[in-house]
This record gives sequence, C-alpha cells and structure tokens, in this order.
Amino acid sequence: MLARSRIRPGFWLVFWREVGWLRRRPFLLGLTTIVPLAQMALLAAVFSAGLATRLPIGVLDLDGSDLSRSIVRMVDATPDSAVAMRVGDLAEGRNLILSGKIHGLLMLPRDLQRDVFAARRPEVVFFYNTQTLTTGNLTARGVNAAVPTASAGIRLSLRSAQGQPLEMAQTDLQPIPVQTNALFNPTLNYVFFLLAALIPSVLQVVMVTTSAYSVGLDVETNHRLRILRRLGGGILPAMAGKILPYTILFLLVLGLSDVLMFTGFGLPQRGHSLLLIVAGLLFILACQFLGALLALLLKPTVSAVSIGTLLTAPAFGFMGIGFPRLGMNAFSHIYGALLPGTWYLTARIDQTVRGTPIDLSWKPLLILLAFTVGLAGLVAWRAESIRLAADRNSRLRTAPQPLAEVPS
Amino acid sequence: MSGLLGVFRDELHRIFTVKPAFSVLVLGAIFYAFFYPQPYLNEALRDVPIAVVDRDGTQSSRDLARRVDATPDVAIVRQLPDLASAEREVYARRVDGILVIPQFFERELLHGRPSPVALYADASYFLIYQRVAGAVAAVARTIGVEVETARLIGIGVDPALAPAATDPLRLTAVPVFNPEGGYATYVLPAAFVLLLQQTLLMGVALLGTWPDANPAERGRSRPRPVTVIAGKLLAYLALQAIILPVYLIVLPYVYGVPRLGDVVPILVFAVPFVLSVAGLGFVVAGIFRKPVRVSLVLAAAGLPLFMIAGFSWPSEAIPPVIRMVSYLVPSTSAINGFVKLSQLGAPLSAVQPQFFTLWALAFLYNLIALLQLIRETRPPSPVVADRVLPAA
Repeated sequence: MLARSRIRPGFWLVFWREVGWLRRRPFLLGLTTIVPLAQMALLAAVFSAGLATRLPIGVLDLDGSDLSRSIVRMVDATPDSAVAMRVGDLAEGRNLILSGKIHGLLMLPRDLQRDVFAARRPEVVFFYNTQTLTTGNLTARGVNAAVPTASAGIRLSLRSAQGQPLEMAQTDLQPIPVQTNALFNPTLNYVFFLLAALIPSVLQVVMVTTSAYSVGLDVETNHRLRILRRLGGGILPAMAGKILPYTILFLLVLGLSDVLMFTGFGLPQRGHSLLLIVAGLLFILACQFLGALLALLLKPTVSAVSIGTLLTAPAFGFMGIGFPRLGMNAFSHIYGALLPGTWYLTARIDQTVRGTPIDLSWKPLLILLAFTVGLAGLVAWRAESIRLAADRNSRLRTAPQPLAEVPS
Repeated sequence: MSGLLGVFRDELHRIFTVKPAFSVLVLGAIFYAFFYPQPYLNEALRDVPIAVVDRDGTQSSRDLARRVDATPDVAIVRQLPDLASAEREVYARRVDGILVIPQFFERELLHGRPSPVALYADASYFLIYQRVAGAVAAVARTIGVEVETARLIGIGVDPALAPAATDPLRLTAVPVFNPEGGYATYVLPAAFVLLLQQTLLMGVALLGTWPDANPAERGRSRPRPVTVIAGKLLAYLALQAIILPVYLIVLPYVYGVPRLGDVVPILVFAVPFVLSVAGLGFVVAGIFRKPVRVSLVLAAAGLPLFMIAGFSWPSEAIPPVIRMVSYLVPSTSAINGFVKLSQLGAPLSAVQPQFFTLWALAFLYNLIALLQLIRETRPPSPVVADRVLPAA
C-alpha cells in the first residue's frame, strides 16, 4: 500500500478504492449486476409470449344442434379462447374450473336453435373465473366477440325471412358501431405494458438496498466515516467517488435491459432517447442517495437494508401500473408520489410507447431531479452533522485516531 | 424429547430477541398487513376522465355523451372542438380517452344507416383501457338496440317480436368467485400468501445466519441435528399458527374480500406451506451465511416470484421450462392452493397436486438443511461466527 504521505486525497482515490473493492468482493459485484439481470431475465421469459392466447374453456352443449355447434366453433376460433373440453353437466364444469383446467364454461341451453327461430330469445350463459382477473377477462373477451357474431348471422336470416332487403337488414344490425382504438399499445401487448414496468421496479429495490449496504460499509461507525471523508478530501467528493462506480454498473444493467426491450421485444421508442437516458440516470441517482441516506440514518447496516426493502419491495403496487394511481386512496397516492420509480415509469412510458411531445414531458423529469438534489442534500447534511457531533465528542478525548486501512 | 422441547423454546426465544428476525417476522408482518393493501382498497376505477369531441352537436349526439358520462366507469371532463386538442390532453395525462362523434351522426341514425363513433382509449394502462372501452361500448349497444327496436316497430314488426329480432340470442356473461371484478379481491388473497412466504423465508434465513447469543451453552450437550431441525420447525409452526390465520382469514374479512372456503382446509394446507418455506429458509441461510447477505439477496425476489406463480399472468402463457422451475418455490403451489381453498371454496381434494408438491418441497428442503447441519457439526472445530464487523 502507498505510504500515507503519498496518498493524494480526492474523488478519484475513493472511486478507485471502490472499484478495487468491487473486484475483490464477488458478492457485492454479483448483487449489483448478476442478481438484477437474472431477475430481469426470469421476468422476460415469463412474459415472452406477450399475449396470452387460446386460454382453455369448457363447453356444456345441451342442444347439440347445428346452431350450437357453430357457436362452439366460433368461440374456438377466436384468438383469446380455445374449447379445451366438453363437459356433461354444470357440476363437472365447476370442478374443472376449481381444478384450474379451464377458466370458463360456456353453457348452451336445450332447444337453443328451436327457441331462437321461434323468437323466444334463449339465453347463452358464460361462467368465467374472475378470481384470476387477467385470465378471466381474456376468456370473456373471446366469448363476447364470438357469440354476437353468431347472433348477427341469425338476425340477418330473421330479417331476410321477414322480407327486408339484405342490404338494409345488414346496416340495421349495429346502428352505432364503436371503432375502438387502443392508443399507444394497439395489440394490448403485456410486454410493453407490464414487463417494461416490472424491470425498473425490481431494479429500484436492488439499487436502494445495495446502496444502503455499500455505503453502510463505510459509514457504519463514525471512525470509518471519518476515514472515508479524509480519503475523499471532504464529504462531497468522497460520497461522489463512493457512489459513482455503482451508478455506472446500474446504468449498464438498465441499458442492457433496455437493449433487450427495444431490440429483443420491439418496444416502440416514440419519444426522445435523450430524455429517456436522463430520466434513467436521475432515477438511479435518486435511488442511490435514498440508500445512502438510510445507511447514514440507521445502524447497523442490516437495519438500513431491511428498511430499504420494506420501503421498496411492495412499491410496485403504489406506482400505479396494474391498478392506476387515479383509483387509489389518498395515502397510496401520496406514498406513490414519494417513490422515484413512480416518476421514472411515468417518464419511461412517455418516452417509449406514448411518444409524448417534449413540452409535455418535463414534469416527471423535474420531479426526479428534485428527488436527486434533495436526497443528495440530505445525505451531505446528515454526514456533516455526524462529523460535527463526532468532533464535539473527540475533543474530550486526546489524540485523533490514525488513518488506518479500511478493513473489509 | 426434552432436547426437542429445548430447541423449540430456544428458537421461539430467538424469534423475539434477535432484532432483525423479530423485525421481519413480527413487525414486518404487522406493517405489511396495513401497508400493502392500500393501493387496491378502492377495488375499481371510477369516473375515468375522458374528453368528447362532438362534431355533430345534435340532440342524439348530446344524448350519447350524457349517457356515457352517466356510467360509473367514466366521466366526461372536457368538451373539445377537434381531435388534435384532445390528443394533447391525453399526452398531458389530463384525460384517458377521446370519444369522437362525427358530423351527421344523428342524420345517419335517422336515415337508418350505421352511424359509427370513434373511441381512442389510453392502452398504456390496461385497466384504464378496459374501463373506457367497456363503458362506451355498452352505452352504444344499448342505444343501438333502442334505435333498432323503434325502427322495426316503425316498419310494422309486431312490438312483442321486435326485441327478439334485434337480439335473438342473449349472451349473459357471469363472473364467478369475484363477481364485482374488484382489484383488491383479485390481488390480495394471492399477495398475502406471497407476503407470508417472504417474511417467513427472510426471518428463518436471518435466524439461521445469526450467531447464537451464548456459545458457551452450545458446547454442553448439543442436540442431534434432526432434533435441531424439528425443534426449529415447531417454533416456526407455532409462530405461523398466529400470523397465518390473521393473514388469510382475519385480513380478508377486515378488507372486505369475500371468502368462500372453510377455515379447516386452509389450516391443513398451511402446514406443508410453512414447513417448506422454513426449509427453504434453512437452505438459503446455509448458502449465504451472513444476515446482511440474506436480506440483500431476498430483497427484490418477491415481484418475480409473484409473476411466475401463474396467477396474474396465465400459466398457459409461461414457457414450460420456467413453469417447471417455478414449482421449486413454495409460493407457486401455495398461491394456487390457498386461492382455490379460500376464494373458490374448493375442497382439499381439488388442491391435491399443490398439497403434495408442498409436502415434497418440505421434505426436500429440510433434508438438504439436515445434511448441511450434519456436515457443519461433524468436525469438532467450533463454527466461526464471522460477523460483518471485524475488530477495528
């Protein structure tokens, strides 16, 4: 090691010391790179299909007529649902839903065909399991699309039978058709919706907890904090040198996941890449400073890590992807607004699928900037107040402790 | 037997005295019980704001807009002259949808021609899209049926038959088990199981890595490894005998989540769940060996584990390899099983595959833990409790 006289304190000294630590500690390096990348890869694999198609449903056909068979064929032909099995009675269908083999049961009543043509308006019933909301709604969408098509065919023949000209009968079928356009995600692809948001959420937990840990290694005792400050020649350059190696690693991880999203999954990039990168950088810094602040406030380090986990692990629900923020109660709305991830995801959605014009893109970026600056200020203030308190105490003692090599 | 009782008592004591373990197992469980459900408590989105661009400005177009506004799902908050200004409102996130009623909407309707309207709904949030699209489609269909029925009666069809001609085959879609389609009812029963797993897993792993308080006592008469594992498992079962029923029975009741199933099958199913999670906790402790490492590694695992369970994303759409691997984590079978028992009111026989998978995991993980313990205790050299803190 260099002799004490030749050490030039400053930002780079702390920076290179941290890089050296990372090289000597595979656990810390793995935690900041391999763990989040593995979790991202797992999530990407889970959602790789993008769309859930041909979900199995059961059919209870009590009619067995041409009409009922054609309805079954149409339901089977929709992309969402597939007729996986025919059941003998309702009890059997219920058991199959309970066992999870089917997600819904289509019941075609006895004398369906006869009643339709006798204008008795028979009822086709579709039971679907909404305990699993996504799956249930998808199967219902399939049946909801197929049965009216069958019904339209019948109406057409009923009208023709009443002597209406075919063209007129056709236009009558749906007086007010709604042309529905799904803005920003026309295929309703879950990769662009859910996966694109899950990855930053996982990274948020990793960034806050590992920052709390790595900073905690250097600030757990006042003695070590003092060493860090002297190595950096001041608390600000020391903190900057401490944090920057991880900023670079997290940028690489986030960049790698974005490469996968944009090139692998074809996530549209309709906004401005520069804004997306700036938002990503601010998001990473805000999470790092949050972790650093926890490490400065809570001792021992394991408590800082636990509180970091407590704050960020359940954060996904508060960031308003699955259940949007506009439906939340006041507490959740406020808590969500205090999470950097909420605003990063807003900026991310703006700059990827939505392609928000620049003049409407600033709000989430400015909030992220405010978080970063505010948290950095709190970190500096807290570190400084620890030093002042320690100085007051050490005046009571005699000699200052020598500059020691930081133990691992 | 007294050895078993001793281990049981010691471990129960440690649960309440080892601070990080207590924080996770007890305080964490209490905190999550209040904190986690908050975003979902309103159950459904109401009054999603949309804009209307009415290019027709007639009685019919205003009637359509009024009836869309009257639905509980959406609220018309802006009347805008053109699509461009409405699009800007969407980008600014002030509205989540645009209903465009074209010129001559009423005239086409009166002339008996199809009179389409256009809806642009924000699909960057799926729940918002569903709400807006569903509400507008339902109103358009209702008005459509009224118009068509009136028209048929007008051309001389028997009024009694007219409804049959407009809608000859009724489709009734009956949502079962969560009839309101509520989001809390959907997500909480599964999330509670995951929270139980994550707190217990982390607590057991922390206890497994935390050095014993009084190593002097350990040397005296150390119980056999089987007794150690069994005694600790009993302690975790005792703790979960209180926490698990609170999470799966009391909390759903407090948050108004309907429960169809009986209590007894839930508790029977809980036994292999607790044993398998605790076993996995032993194994995790054996691999990572330091409390802080355990906390860090498990911190971000919850979200991916929830997603591979095949609950919020259908398991049919998950690649088979991932699905196979996912069975190694207790939550995959446990979420499935507990949700069926409590929400679907299924009998124990309907969750047999999950029940046996959990028992198999319980044996597998506790066997591995046992082997780890035997290997550790065989050499007489004392196990060095290498704390994170070195002597300064």
